[in-house]
Amino acid sequence: MSTENKDNIHHGELVEVEEVVEFTPAYRWQHWIRALTIVVLTFTGFYIAYPFIDPSSNPEPTNFLYANMRAVHLAFGFLMIAAVLIKTYLTLLGKADTYKAEFVSMKDLINPKIWIHQLGYYMFLSKHPPLKGVYNPLQFMAYFAMYILFYLLIITGIVLYVHVYHEGLGGALYGIGRWFEVLMGGLANVREIHHISMWALLIIIVIHIYMAVFNAVFGKNGSMDAIFSGMKWNKKH
Amino acid sequence: MKVSTKETTYDSLYATFEERIEKLKKLPKMKEDTSIEQAIEENGFSRREFMKWAGAMTAMLSLPASFTPLMAEAVKVADRLPIIWLHMAECTGCTESLLRSANPSIDSLIFDYISLEYQETIMTAVGWQAEQNLENAIKKYKGRYILMVEGGIPNGDTEYNLTVGPHGKSGKKISQDASKDAAAIFAIGTCSAFGGVQAAAPNPTNAVALSEVTDRPVINVPGCPPSEKNIVGTLMHYLLYGTLPALDVFNRPKWAYRLRIHDLCERRGRFDAGEFVENFGDEGAKDGYCLYKVGCKGPYTFNNCGKQKFNQGTSWPIQAGFGCIGCSEPNFWDTMGTVNEPLRDRLYHTTLGGLGADATADRIGIALLTVTTVGIAAHAAIAAVKPPKK
Repeated sequence: MSTENKDNIHHGELVEVEEVVEFTPAYRWQHWIRALTIVVLTFTGFYIAYPFIDPSSNPEPTNFLYANMRAVHLAFGFLMIAAVLIKTYLTLLGKADTYKAEFVSMKDLINPKIWIHQLGYYMFLSKHPPLKGVYNPLQFMAYFAMYILFYLLIITGIVLYVHVYHEGLGGALYGIGRWFEVLMGGLANVREIHHISMWALLIIIVIHIYMAVFNAVFGKNGSMDAIFSGMKWNKKH
Repeated sequence: MKVSTKETTYDSLYATFEERIEKLKKLPKMKEDTSIEQAIEENGFSRREFMKWAGAMTAMLSLPASFTPLMAEAVKVADRLPIIWLHMAECTGCTESLLRSANPSIDSLIFDYISLEYQETIMTAVGWQAEQNLENAIKKYKGRYILMVEGGIPNGDTEYNLTVGPHGKSGKKISQDASKDAAAIFAIGTCSAFGGVQAAAPNPTNAVALSEVTDRPVINVPGCPPSEKNIVGTLMHYLLYGTLPALDVFNRPKWAYRLRIHDLCERRGRFDAGEFVENFGDEGAKDGYCLYKVGCKGPYTFNNCGKQKFNQGTSWPIQAGFGCIGCSEPNFWDTMGTVNEPLRDRLYHTTLGGLGADATADRIGIALLTVTTVGIAAHAAIAAVKPPKK
């Protein structure tokens, strides 16, 4: 059906497409794990910042609403850390072409022509520039900012964590955690940086979702499908 | 096996302390006519009460109970240590908290009777005479005296904002001169430890912490004011060990500032349960619920208030139903937000050149998210009419 679709017909002719691997299974898993954790962490995070739910009244001292929320926040926090670390590893050392192409995107990033055409494309003025890598410069900058935010969230999160759990991992990271605490000027600031980073990440994610939909609607190459199936369609030239 | 090693360690520590006390005993008493022992007795404290105090102080410094008699001995020689106390840019609250109690505790009595060679609040000398006293004390007890500094220190272009005495010396110069030959330096209170209130934005006097103007190691004893136990405890620690205590990342003694207010809080169970005071005076407040939502900064603040308490151990803010304001943390005036509101509601004064003045992070976040969404909707609407070029 896809090749018969009228949108793939250019000047009334059939356009040949080839199926290419866009995202490896590991890539897709970590993407959706991160997506899930961000939803859970945002909800529990807002609760931790300001507990907006009253626990059901109970004369026995068996209420643990806040402690449970924190436990969920920590569990999903560590899951997110794992996903981010895996993605970082794959980006730096991954063997699949996808990861190598991420680095190739830097060639597009330093090319001012690509910048102008990419901006022009989103402003409906010019055609989409041909890219050497997988990410266009705007996308690259957004994802790069995202990782800075992820690591800020992870570091500040761990600094807050080591003051709640002094044994095990918390104990092991206590020294380095406190070093960052001094760097950021006290625990109140650490907490504030954590909160602001979350907001910045949320805004980037909203834009990310829109751009994904935009490119799915107008790119018509299965780029949205790729994050589920791994495959997308490239026009043969 | 492990126990015996520990005992041996304590034995040698005990011997070291004994030796140090003997050494201090040989030093001349600063005041011939009276002694700390006498003062404590005259103020109506029984021997039993004194020993109880010594036991509590021993425990506070994490020493075993067998050290209690040694602590009692150590206190008696505390008046052999000359102390110079400087007032910088401050409110004298730290001094007052020790001097002005209606029923002075043993801690404040000790403070009164240790040999304060120079203390502007309580000395009789004024003007040239006062200046001379300070110079003489520094000269006479060179390398022996303990320097305690209260208050932030105006620095840079506005150093002159604190100019003291007939010589017109700046506070910075005075504290630098006094630091040079001190045996130990304690920054008493948040102002001298971290800059404190006058270092808060916009900091018109460029006030900084004592540690910023001297190369010598400074022990920070922050708090607004710090509890008398933390001040006297730091002194007793130095008296016994003759060395600086183990310090945390902000140079605060670990025995006092190792844990957060939150970790030692009697209402911590309410916090974990999710039971919070919504407004002062509500049912939750009467039931002793957690004060997090009415602005308690205990989770971000390191101090031992919950253990040592204030006013002769009567109470402390959270026990009295008022949240911690985070006074022993660096830059607490700027970082902790509004006193009665949680940190979530901290205000950002100069956001977007005054456009978002007095907005919280959440309000700014929602505003930016709204702008983003509007932008997306506009872009999508244009795209629907005029699709991008292929």
